[in-house]
Formats: sequence, C-alpha cells, structure tokens
Amino acid sequence: MESKLSGSATNLVDQLVYPGDVVLDLSSMTNQTIKLGGGLRQDSDVISVMKAGRLRFSKPNKYWVESSQKRYVPHAEDSVLGIVVDSRSDNFLVDIKGPAIAFLPVLAFEGGTRRNIPKFEVGALLYVRVVKANPGMNPELSCTDASGKAGEFGALKEGYMFECSTGLSRMLLSSPTCPVLDTLGKKLSFEIAVGLNGRVWVNASSPSTTIIVANALINSEPLSGVQQKIMAEKLLQRVQ
Amino acid sequence: MEQRLANCVQLTVNEKQFIENALLSELRVDGRGPLEYRKLSIKFGKDDGSAEVQLGETRVMSFVSAQLVQPYKDRPNEGTLSIFTEFSPMADPSFEPGRPGESAVELGRIIDRGLRESRAIDTESLCILSAKLVWAIRIDIHILDNAGNLVDAANIAALASLLTFRRPECSLGGEDGQQVVVHPPEVREPLPLILHHLPVAVTFGFFSNENLVVLDPTYHEEAVMTGRMTATLNANGDVCAIQKPGEQGIFQHIIMHCLKLAHVKAGDITAKIKDAVEKHNNERALQKIKRRSSSVSVDVCGTTARLGGKQNQSGGGKDNSHLDQLKPKDEANFMECDATSSGQVQINKKDEGSKNFTGGPSSWYGKKDPYSECVNSDLLKAPMDSEC
Repeated sequence: MESKLSGSATNLVDQLVYPGDVVLDLSSMTNQTIKLGGGLRQDSDVISVMKAGRLRFSKPNKYWVESSQKRYVPHAEDSVLGIVVDSRSDNFLVDIKGPAIAFLPVLAFEGGTRRNIPKFEVGALLYVRVVKANPGMNPELSCTDASGKAGEFGALKEGYMFECSTGLSRMLLSSPTCPVLDTLGKKLSFEIAVGLNGRVWVNASSPSTTIIVANALINSEPLSGVQQKIMAEKLLQRVQ
Repeated sequence: MEQRLANCVQLTVNEKQFIENALLSELRVDGRGPLEYRKLSIKFGKDDGSAEVQLGETRVMSFVSAQLVQPYKDRPNEGTLSIFTEFSPMADPSFEPGRPGESAVELGRIIDRGLRESRAIDTESLCILSAKLVWAIRIDIHILDNAGNLVDAANIAALASLLTFRRPECSLGGEDGQQVVVHPPEVREPLPLILHHLPVAVTFGFFSNENLVVLDPTYHEEAVMTGRMTATLNANGDVCAIQKPGEQGIFQHIIMHCLKLAHVKAGDITAKIKDAVEKHNNERALQKIKRRSSSVSVDVCGTTARLGGKQNQSGGGKDNSHLDQLKPKDEANFMECDATSSGQVQINKKDEGSKNFTGGPSSWYGKKDPYSECVNSDLLKAPMDSEC
C-alpha cells in the first residue's frame, strides 16, 4: 500500500478522483513544496480529495481537482461574464453566478477617474476579471487586465448569452481549440466570449448563425472530440 | 437585499433584444419555430395516480389521492375535486418556500377551472351515500424544474395522474344498508375515475410587437414577453377556460387564430397522454397478474381441490352437504374473481406468448386456464341450489 501511494501521485493526474481518495503521500516527498488548489486538502501526512472530478497538475508543483458544476466559486484571475444588477455610487453590483454578488468599482476601468464613470443599465452584460475572491467577502471585479489596459474587457453589445456548466466553459477555453469551435469556425463567422463562471456569449451577423452556434455548443457538452466534430459537421450540412 | 437581487430572474439586455430580433425572423433560441411545442414525455410512478411530465426541461410531478368526506350541503350527491400546488425553491430560486406565490395560485386556479368547470370529472359517480359520504379527490402538483410554461406541463401531469388513478371500490352493507364497506385493492379491483373529456391547456406568449406569437414559451421567453394567454381546450375543440394575464391587449383575430392552433395542439397532446396511459395500463395489468399469482394461487388450488371433493360428495352422500352450506357462496365469489382474472390472463397470454409457462408461480395459469374455461360460476351455482 505504502509503496503504491508514493507512485500514485503521477498515476492519478488527469484521472477521475473521488472524495476520500489519497493522491499524495507527503512522508515520501520531503524537501518539496507543493501548492494545493480547489478540491484537495491535507490530512496530516497525506493529501486527500474533497470533491469528485479530474485531478490536474501544473508544473512545477500545483495540484487541483477540476469538476463540472452549475455553480461557480470565484477565484482570482478568472475571466467571467457578469450581469449588472444594480449600481451604487462607488460600485456596480454584478452577478457572476457566485454565492455572493460581486463588486465592480467604478474606477476599475482603463483610465478610470471620478469624472468619467461609465454608465451601465441594469441587465448589461460585462466581460470582467475577478481581482479578489476572499472567503467571507464579496468578490471584487475589474474591467482591466493586470497591466491596467482594457483589453477585451468591458460591456458586450448585442449577441446572445447562455448559461452552461463550468466544465463546458473550460472545455471551450481549452487549447488546442476544442473541436466543435474549430469546426464551426471554419464555416461560420461569429464572436464568442466564454466566462469561466459558466456563461457564454455568442454574436454573429444573423440571428440564425447565433442560434446554431449556441445550440451546437450546448449540445457538445457530453460528447467526445470526434463526436463533437461529427455533430458540428452534420449541423453545418443541414444549414447549407 | 443582495439575496433578493441574486434570486430574481436575471435576463440581460442582450438576451431580451436577441430573443425579439430572432423572433422577427421566425427563429427561437432553442431552434424551434414560433408555433412548435417542446418534446413532451410522460412517466408514471409505481403508485396509481402518480405521473411525472417533462416538457423540454420543465418537469412537473402530479399525485392524485382520494379521501372519504362529507359532501357540501348544497351538493349532497357530488364528490369534490381540489388542487394543491407546491413550488419547490429547487425548481427556481425565485420560488420562496412556505407561502404559495402569485404564480402558484394562478397555476392552481387555471388547472382547477379547466377540470372542474368543464365538468371533465364525473363528480356524481364519486358519491357513495347521499349527503353523508363522498370521495374527495385531491391533486398535488409539484414543480420540480422550471424551464418555462409550467401551466401546460402541470395540466398534462394532472390529467395523466387522474387517468391512472384508481379509487377503492365501496359498497353499502350492514343491517340498515347504510354501512359503507371499503374493499381493499386485493379483494376488489379498484375503480378508475370517470373522465368525460381531457381539457388540455395550451399557452401562447405575446410580445410588444403585436404580430409576434409563440407557442409554449420557455423560461427566457417568459421573461421577455409582455402578455400570455392560456386556452384550455379538449380534443373536440370545446373551449373550457381561457386565462389571459398581462397588460398587453391582443386583437380578436389573433385570439381566434390562437384558439384554432390550440385545438390542433390539444388533439396532439390528448393523443400523447392517451398513448402513455394505455401503455402504462398494459404494463400495470401484467404486473398485477404476476403479483396475484403468488397470493391467490394457493386459494385457487384449495377451491379446485374442494370442488373436486364436492362433486364426489353430491354423488355419494347427502349427509355432509349441509356442513358445507357456507362454503358454496364463498366459492362462487372466488370463481367470479377468477373469471375476471382469467380474462386478463388470456390477454396476458396473447402478449407474452409461451413465457407464462416457464416461470414458477406464473405457470399456474397454464394449468388453471383450461379448468376455468370448462367450469364457470353459473354452472357451479346450479347444482348447489338443487342440493339445498
């Protein structure tokens, strides 16, 4: 058992893990620093799993468990799609599907000053970045990237937004480009913004294209790469 | 405050615009045409009178139960029908636990009106003892998942559960003929309710652009649309009820057009419900036969043996005949029961072919069948009378 555990860390990476599974044995890896992400915890000498999902590892030393869920737990540096629900004198209140409403300071825009405060009506859709996500506090958002530039962040005009699981969002953001987007993108022209909180915005010149893309993406969730490709190709044939 | 913000229906400006724009070119966000219904599937529970309906992503469960109560004074000969709705916060975060919201009351009322005021259920057949005892039918509707158009889904669920509901059979007995005997389902087959017709609710959504009409609006469309109309019709096209909330006015010709569409849809849905119920009833009949085989077969065996003995006795001596005087009545009853069940068995045999002969307890039918064919209860009664 012990000998198995020491080697099991690498075996379990990218495998499905379940609560209670032991992924790392610390006693056999002295003089190493590891960083734990969501879904893992330290029980004295071992690292065990707290939620079902896939164990991920990023060099040099980060471990976390990735799962697909309908609720979003905010993490710093995530790009998300938020909906403005209210505006206060110094903050916009934005819903990012998290357990608490997030704050977007009115100054968190490129070149933001007291004088040029942007105006968003209730229901506006924003592409924003999570800056702070401390437990017990409302998350804080920003419409600039880390260097203070607006980049792609800001309000999204027109288009259609649908909600999905966080797993689908992550699949759409993965690199290399996921097959369904790749196939659709070769034939159709559309814009897409994917938030890690399980919201996807699609825009195209005609509503029919938008609907086709949106439904193709929703349907692709349970499919494998090859199936996605076949599904998207069939869909495109039917349209043309 | 924040919790309330998080709970309300959140639809972005983008979505609202898009839904309306797409409708202008006769497209809906889920890929349907404006007058298409979502996929409907009806499932039934183990108990009689429970049904679960899935309309697209909307899920509604309905359960029918019955109770013996005293009737209302002004209607001494009629049973009662009541509808209760339960909106679980799991179905939609905007549903609050505890008190029923406006939508919950409205939903209950629409279904109630459709069923009761069109006299779809024969309430007089629910009377057992005039002004004393009637059946009170109760329909419990649980919303499991809200993805739009709860009214239609709940109405279909209510109809499906009413169609599969069975109430225990009752008879009057006792010295004065006023004592009510409720027969347990094992003794007498429970009775279905009498439904004269099926009122099906069909919901339309209207938008600020007056020419836009959609059938079976989804959750998102419900948040955008400005008016709604639910028409309750049966398959013959009789309008049983109409509910039109929302401020927007609609032209008369649009309403007439909607009613024509609703007639077609009501026919389709009625056919679907009937199909599902028939399928369920067949399955149920098969299960019942299997269950009975284990419990009743012993009795059947006993009667056959006794009957054999009796025929000998009637030939041999008359001394014992008075000892058995109580038995013939019971046996006649048994044989009546058997006659009905053997009818079912024959149906069963057609369906299952030779399957019956392979199983342990079910193989009784293979043996019993020829017997019940040649001896029926009338034949049995005649010699008994002559004996006495």
